[in-house]
Formats: sequence, structure tokens, C-alpha cells
Amino acid sequence: MERREILLGNGAIALGIVESVCQVVTAYPGTPSSEIVPEVIRFVKTSGFNTYVEWSTNEKVALDTAFAASISGKRAACCMKQVGLNVAADSLMSCAYLGAVGGLVIISCDEPMPHSSATEQDTRSMARFAKVPVLDPSTPQEAREMVGVAFSLSEEFRVPVILRPAVRVCHARQSITYGPMVEGGRKADFRRNPDRWAATPRFRLTLHAELNEKVIEIGKRFDRLSDHNFHDLKPGKQYPLGIIAGGVPYAVLRDILREEDRTDIPVLKLGAPYPFPESLTSDFLSACEKVLVVEETDAFIEYLIRDRHKILGRLTGHIPREGELLPQVIHRKVSDVLLELGQQPLKEEESAEAIAVVKALELPVRKPSLCPGCPHRATFFAIRNALPKAIITSDIGCYTLGVNMGAVDTILDMGAAITMASGFYHSFAQDGVAQPIVSTIGDSTFFHSGTSGLLNAVYNGARFILVILDNLTTAMTGMQPTPALGIRANGNKGKAISLERTVTGCGVEFVEVVDPYDLEKMNEVLKKASAYVNDPGGGIAVIIARHPCLIAYREKAIPEKKKILITDDCVECNFCIEHFECPAIFQDQALGRTSINEQICSGCGVCLSVCPTGAIVEVA
Amino acid sequence: MNTINLVLCGLGGQGIVFMTRVLSQVAIQKGYDVLGAETHGMAQRGGSVVSHLRLGDVQGSLVLPGSAQFVLALEENEGYRNLPFVAPRGRFFVNTSSPAFPNEKAKDYLDAKKIQCRGVPASSIAMAMGAPMSSNLALLGYFSAFGDEPFSYGDLRSVIQQISPDRFREKNIKVLEAGFDRGIKEKEV
Repeated sequence: MERREILLGNGAIALGIVESVCQVVTAYPGTPSSEIVPEVIRFVKTSGFNTYVEWSTNEKVALDTAFAASISGKRAACCMKQVGLNVAADSLMSCAYLGAVGGLVIISCDEPMPHSSATEQDTRSMARFAKVPVLDPSTPQEAREMVGVAFSLSEEFRVPVILRPAVRVCHARQSITYGPMVEGGRKADFRRNPDRWAATPRFRLTLHAELNEKVIEIGKRFDRLSDHNFHDLKPGKQYPLGIIAGGVPYAVLRDILREEDRTDIPVLKLGAPYPFPESLTSDFLSACEKVLVVEETDAFIEYLIRDRHKILGRLTGHIPREGELLPQVIHRKVSDVLLELGQQPLKEEESAEAIAVVKALELPVRKPSLCPGCPHRATFFAIRNALPKAIITSDIGCYTLGVNMGAVDTILDMGAAITMASGFYHSFAQDGVAQPIVSTIGDSTFFHSGTSGLLNAVYNGARFILVILDNLTTAMTGMQPTPALGIRANGNKGKAISLERTVTGCGVEFVEVVDPYDLEKMNEVLKKASAYVNDPGGGIAVIIARHPCLIAYREKAIPEKKKILITDDCVECNFCIEHFECPAIFQDQALGRTSINEQICSGCGVCLSVCPTGAIVEVA
Repeated sequence: MNTINLVLCGLGGQGIVFMTRVLSQVAIQKGYDVLGAETHGMAQRGGSVVSHLRLGDVQGSLVLPGSAQFVLALEENEGYRNLPFVAPRGRFFVNTSSPAFPNEKAKDYLDAKKIQCRGVPASSIAMAMGAPMSSNLALLGYFSAFGDEPFSYGDLRSVIQQISPDRFREKNIKVLEAGFDRGIKEKEV
């Protein structure tokens, strides 16, 4: 009997990877890509394959590693989120020139809105920048199929291929029918060829010319890639409006047009938009008077169409230039365009009235915050308390939520907590100002891209306090192990890398490890660190604030749960709510006072030393 | 076959993901094609959690507002927030014990669209069964009493049997049952 199961889009991608007999998989976690690796491991384990899978320390490391596997003749996949591809861009641009031997597929997951990302950048633009083909799936099932297509293309044209699923593919769930999974693959066989694999600038020109040829050939192939690039024009018919769409917007559009039986609007789906299928697109454009381009996350196809006099889209303001193209947005925009062209619009939206009703209810906005009991909250509270005037640079992870506590002043990119602290130091020091600076970065982010910044800071004589928020996991993206744990992606034992020794190895001479739950101790060490930073013989002071993440370690993170109560000594000063911002402490409307929500209180007891009037107490 | 659309909503930690798993598993066992969308990442840190589920020949994972036959909410405000998804004549079941539910401001709209709106004391039901964290199962049980295709009580029950972790299995079934009993009583009201 055929096996059918509901898989996450990332699971469908993982299935595609394993079905394609891919032998090496590397990745750095990042929403919405993080579940691909665990799913690959699940399939590999249940099938008993010896596929090599690793959590790499960052995306560039991951791509370099996968590239070496490819030029050893093996199929390799490398997974990351869209901003991770920026980190791997150095590798990507070069390996596009060098080429591939075994299929090399880069999976870079986009996130319009952006729910959990620094930018809404479009991976398709990165693909064109690097001149490598890109596939853009509309559904989990199509993503799975495209993984296979990508490996074949990569081997046929000897070029890396990018698959860019967006969040609504990665985090969709779909019923998927399993096919056969076979172990196989090739023995590693690296053929020395320095003119290619170690190409000096002289040979790079030749390689560039070679890549340009590939782009032309693959573009022609994409004209005929009818499973993923197709339209529904009727021969000889002319249409007042046609729509070009790819990826998730295609899926949404297809459902809307079917639901409303609008066979009068032809659609060209471009699941393989680059190298651009010129001739297929040109046929479509000829049959339509106007063409609306509906794509995410940026204008891409729209720019690739050279003659844009018929084109409506993001560039003409017919499609929003930012944010997610939700079904209701596409519905409304398509309808608007139909009206503008004097055509029958789509059906009236059912929801407009309800939206007005909901607005009138003035529902509270729920912003995400650090979990009750999160050790980062204790650390941030201590920093703000000990060094109220400090500039606090922070980084990418759960702790960006420290912004709610007024304890995060900057967030730029992975590792920037440290590099920006250097920049602030030198900018103020140049004017003779001793500006206190505290840099906060998570353990996983530190291993990702903190060390190069720390080396630089030490070498160039910067002075600041670096607090490494060590919760012994990669929390935001779903509890992947960090190098410090010595646990590898498949759960096997690896070599544990000591955070303390890494910091010392970067040349730091002040390193202290503190449990941030002990606010008093934390305060004391921060003061000591501050003195060291300001001492002529001092330097950068590193505090490792170490306490396990409550989600990852559950009961183990709080060995002695405390029962907390707010007494009548509470003067409603709101200090705890504003500065400690624990979701378990709230204004009880019914009681008319500050209270503890016992359902969600973790019992960490950190709040006991927060209240200025001592109204937060432990119940014996 | 017409598409069946559901929206499940609540707060992080209330078990929306588990609810979605149960309903999708029931649907796939009944031979439906299933497609859904869920919230991950930053949004899970105490924010609103929404899960969309679509059964039928569809490709987009998100429900178009005004087209969900069923909206099940584990928290009242999150329920209102997702009110625009409810289709005319759809069911809008919200976990609340508030006698003031539904809000006056929403009542006219609910009546005009002939939406079947029910405040379900799912948290109280779960609490009474000694499982305060299982309001999701109480609401599922209540919903299953209405017997909408393909979500029959029997099928929900057997899927929950299959997929519950060992230590929660018995409790989960009890809470589901209690929700179901309540639903049966209130079905014809």
C-alpha cells in the first residue's frame, strides 16, 4: 500500500533531498529553513543510509563544505534562510564560476512580511546576481519535485542551482505520498584541475565566459521546462489581461481563479524564473493586452521582462512593494486591476465588514516577549541596572526581544553586537569620551560570526563589556545544538568546543562565568568588568551569562521551583512590568492590581529581587 | 468536491499545533488532500498563533478571509482577531467562560452573516478533568459533537489515541470526551 503522510514543506524538501540520493547535507539553522536538516536525519535514520549531515557553524562554512563534496563527485545540498545566503555570498559568487561536478543544490528560504528575519530580500535576485539558476516552488509537493530537477540541472550544466521556497512552502503542511528511497551515490573522486578548482584571475575570465554560455542554454531549457513553467493560453485567442506569477503567489492565484471560475484570465506560471525563459514569456505577452506580474518578495520577473510597456506590477504600484502577498491582498489587487481595465472584477470580498467589526473591538496587540523564566531577561535586567548609561548592542536571536525591556539599542546582522561595539568604542574614544558599551550576543550566534569580530576588537584595542548569553542551545530557531555542547546534528557525540577557551583564544584576558539568575552576583561581575574596561591596563571584559533555556531543558532549567506572590506592599509603581517585562506578571483588571499568572509563571524566582518595595515574595 | 477551510487560533503554548495535527490526520485518513499553514519562530514567543487547514484540491496554504467554515479559538481575543475568516453560516467556537460573549459590537455582524457563535468553557472543562493545559482537546471534543464531515468524534478519538504521547493519552481522551458531552448537550440549542 502506498504510504501517505502529512509533511511540513521542509519535510517535503528533505524527502526530495534523500530521494535524489544526495550524500552530503550541510546547513545553518534559520527560520523558515530550520526543519530541513532534522527531517533529512529522520529519513536517513529510518532508511539506514550513511548520508553525511552537519549543522555547520555558519552558512559560508556550510556552502564551502557542500561545494567540496560536489567537486568530489557527490551530490550535496546546503540549506539556510535568505539572509544566510548573504553570509554565504562570497562562496556562492565564486562557486558559480568554478561549477559543480556532483549536483550542488542550495536551498535558501525566503520570508516575506518578515516574520522572523532582518530583511524581505528575494533570493531570486541573489541567484541572478551570481548567475545561477533558481527554482521557485508553489507547494511542498512541487518543492520536493524541484529538488530532483535541481540536482539533474546542476549535473547536466555543471553549475550550482538554487531552490528558493518561501515561508508558506516551508511551513505549509501537505499530504505527501512517499516514493522509493534508495541508497546509492558515488565514491569520492576529486580530479585535480588547478585551472578550474584553483583558478587564478587569468582563468576566471574564461570561467565567466563559460558561465554566461550556461545561462543562455539553461534559459532555453526553462522555455521548455513544462512541469514548472507553463501557461493556459488557448491558441489564437487574445486576452485583455494575463497574469504572470511564480512561487506562493501562483498557488494563491490559481485557487482564487478556480474558485471563481475565471477561465477568461490566462496565467503564466514561472516556477523556474532565472535564467529567464524569454521565448515562453514573449508568447504569453503577445497574447495579452496587459500583463499583471504577481510575485514575492520583490520585483524580479518584472525586471527581467525587457519590454515593460504592457506590464503592471510592483514597479507600477499595482502590487504592494513590501509585505506578504496574502490571499486577500492578491484577491483585492487582481480585482482592482480588472476594474481599472474595464473588466469584470472578482467577487465582492466577504471580510471587509468583519475587519471593521474587529477594529472597533480595539483588541490588545500581542507582541512577542522573552518567555517567563528566560535567563536573558535576568541578564538584561542586571545590565540595565548596573550600567544604566551603556549603549547596548545586540544581535540576532531570541534576545532581540530584550528591546521590550529597553535593553537593546542596536541590531544589525549576525555578529554585529561585537563589531558595532568596536565601532562605537572608537567613535567615542576619538573624542576622548569614555562611553560605557555592553555587547550582548547568544552562544550560537557567537560561534556563527562572533569570533572574527572579537579578534578584531581585541587586536585594535577596543574597550567594552561583552556578555555572551549562553543558554546552551540555539533557541530561536528550534533548539539546535551549538558547538559547545558536543552533540552533532544526528544526535551523535562530537567534540565540544569550550566557549571560555574560544574567548581566551581570541586574546581576551577577563573572562567570568555567571548564572544570571543570581542578579546580585551578575551586578557585581558587571561592575568589576566595567572597572577592567576603564583601567589603563585593562581591555575587553567577557561575561558568560550561563543558564539553560527553559524550552530546551524544561524542569532541569529550574531545579527548585519557587511559588511567587505579590503582597499588599505593592504600590502599583509598574516598575516590574516596565523594566522586568515578565509575561507572568500582569495588571489584573479584576483585582485592580499587579498579580502573578500562576499558569505561566516558571517559578524561577528572579523577580524576587526586582521589586523596589519588596512586594514580590516567595510563598513558603 | 468543495474545499473545507479551517482556522485554529490561540496563544503560544495552548496546543494549536497539536489540534492541527489531529484534524489533519483525521482528514488524511478519510482520503482528503490536506494543506495547511502554521506559525513558527519569533511569533511563537508568546504571540498570537494561527493555523490554517484546507481540505480539497487546493495549492495555497492560507485561507481567504470570509471562507472558513470553521474557526476554533482557544482564546477570546484571538478568536475576534480571526473573525474575518469565518464564512457566512460558518461555525465560530471560542474558548471562553465569559457570560458577556459574544461582545455586543460583534453580535449584529454574527447574526447578519448567520454565523453559529458558541462560547465554549474549554479551559474550565479541562481544569475539571485535572488537565488545565488541555483546553485544546476540550474544544476539539465540543466541535466533534457537531459531526461535520470529516471530523466525527470517533475518528478524532482514534487519532488522538494514536498520536498522543503515552503519559497524556488517557487524560487527552477524557478531556475530549468531556468536551464532546458538552457539545452534544448544546448542539441543538
